[in-house]
Amino acid sequence: MKFYVCIKQVPDVNAPIQIKEGELIQDTSRMILNAYDASAVEEALVLAEQHGGEVEVVSVGPSKVSETIRKALAMGADKAVHIQTSSDDEYDSATYADILAAYFKDKEYDVISCGKQSQDTDAGLAGSMLAEKLDLPYATNAVGLDIEDQKLVVKRQGDAGQEIIGLPTPCLVTCSNDMNDPRIPSLKGIMQSKKKPLETVELSELGIDESNLSSKTHVTGYQEKPEREAGKKYEGEPEEIAKQVAKLLDEEENVI
Amino acid sequence: MSTLLTHIAISDGKIKRSSLEVLSRCQELANQNGHTSEAVIIDSNASDYMDEVQKYGASKIYLVEDPIFKNHINSPLLKALAKVMEASNPHVFAFASTEGTKDILGALAANQDAAVLSDVSEFDLIDGGISAKRPVMAAKILSSNEAKAEKILVSVRSGSYDLQENPTDAEVETIDFSFDESDLKLTLREIIGSSGDKIDLSEADTIVASGRGAKDEEGQKLVNELADLLNAGVGASRALTEAGIVDPSLQIGQTGKVVSPQLYFAIGISGAIQHVAGMANSKVIVAINKDPDAPIFEIADYGLVGDLYKILPPFIEELKKIKS
Ligand SMILES: Cc1cc2nc3c(=O)[nH]c(=O)nc-3n(C[C@H](O)[C@H](O)[C@H](O)COP(=O)(O)OP(=O)(O)OC[C@H]3O[C@@H](n4cnc5c(N)ncnc54)[C@H](O)[C@@H]3O)c2cc1C
Repeated sequence: MKFYVCIKQVPDVNAPIQIKEGELIQDTSRMILNAYDASAVEEALVLAEQHGGEVEVVSVGPSKVSETIRKALAMGADKAVHIQTSSDDEYDSATYADILAAYFKDKEYDVISCGKQSQDTDAGLAGSMLAEKLDLPYATNAVGLDIEDQKLVVKRQGDAGQEIIGLPTPCLVTCSNDMNDPRIPSLKGIMQSKKKPLETVELSELGIDESNLSSKTHVTGYQEKPEREAGKKYEGEPEEIAKQVAKLLDEEENVI
Repeated sequence: MSTLLTHIAISDGKIKRSSLEVLSRCQELANQNGHTSEAVIIDSNASDYMDEVQKYGASKIYLVEDPIFKNHINSPLLKALAKVMEASNPHVFAFASTEGTKDILGALAANQDAAVLSDVSEFDLIDGGISAKRPVMAAKILSSNEAKAEKILVSVRSGSYDLQENPTDAEVETIDFSFDESDLKLTLREIIGSSGDKIDLSEADTIVASGRGAKDEEGQKLVNELADLLNAGVGASRALTEAGIVDPSLQIGQTGKVVSPQLYFAIGISGAIQHVAGMANSKVIVAINKDPDAPIFEIADYGLVGDLYKILPPFIEELKKIKS
């Protein structure tokens, strides 16, 4: 089976963030592989190990995303494609989906997978957009994957419970990070990754003129969230503090 | 004059309050700006919910009724939504940000060539489109966004707007819908672990959530006892859903549910940003943790430092007294 995994480089949400005059100041040295995408890579590797097949990762972005691509190769992906953009500007989900759709248009594959959302924007749109553009059956928010008779069996988390869905191939699935613990590349994996094929593709080769790429949505600025003030800490005898707080919740907060 | 259309989400035979919050907001925006507010119910028994929707204001309600909508399956739902958009021609189509919505929003936007902003915490109309605020970077900060297009989709976090009753005598239009099994791109084989009998977290007034610190039987017993006493929804951190101790649909956080109750208990939860992303908008937060430096104390209104096994029993006793 041929698996393609779409991966994105994102800033580490655990790193300190500053906002200056509405602009986001990020520590760009702390760019990581989106955790949801890492789970998608892990799952594809496991399925390919179990059922045979090849895993290729695809990423869209400026030159610096190559580090993230190397990470996926070091995890064990067989090949990679870097669709290069010149600008560092964030596109919206639809623009990424357009670029990926142009790339996949004449490719052969069984499964395209990606993270269910991006850790930084939490938009969660690109996967199902890409599926629609490629007219593929899809499932989002997968928490478990399996293959049966050339079909992808997806366990997804829905509103009311978990749903088991059968997807005929070719198909697309978006992955939650609840499904596995992505492997940490071994030293051997890191060494091997340097020799693995990494193809670069220019947008013009996909028939896209970068200067014409315009998003329908725009981020116009960033703001601090109104800080939640730390309340009071109650330390001491458990009995005492339990009684004290229960009383306050009843009398001061009126929430009991 | 343009149309604001609201999707009414049904889950476990009930309208999701969060979609009525969105309808309330759309009705308010329509009133302020001289626009029209409409609503759509897509369900196997869509007409059952009409009366309740009427209370919150829409000049027209579209119904799409078909047995296929008994469970969430994305391909027929997308087809129905596209038909409704044809009939209503909305400038803005607003959804509550449920798992069901997350499953189809991007695909619908691509299908309709619409601009889309997901999971917003507020939105407003501007010239040619909408402006909206979205929590980003695990809800550490807010981004301001604009979407300008002929058609705009938006999904709204639960608890972002208050319910406002606004009874109307809405015109009802049933949309013809038939679904050919051969159009079904995928098959739903089974649903497991329906949380139907539990309190819906995204709408609960009180939530008792537990984390790794309360992972054993005794801890869960105490947590459930507290929840029963307060008629509260039970939630959990990822540490517990991942360990299979709590149903995954009850996970709260960046990956799980976003909640905004009046009262939130974080019991044995460290307060990792991915968890906080889903609960920081609770009105009153009570945390119990034995580590005095646990990050959860930075956002808790009431931070009880100590062993939950020692604090919860007297706490429950005290609450029982108050309740009686
Ligand atoms: C991309 C991504 C998405 C994620 N999404 C989510 C999400 O949606 N929701 C989520 O919750 N997590 C999410 N996580 C995981 C998150 O980062 C944390 O790992 C998780 O929230 C930790 O759960 P916890 O606080 O229960 O466990 P821990 O971090 O292990 O904390 C346990 C706490 O219990 C306390 N404790 C232990 N024993 C006792 C006792 N006897 N009495 C009192 N206190 C005690 C400890 O002091 C500690 O603070 C996500 C992670 C990633 C990378």
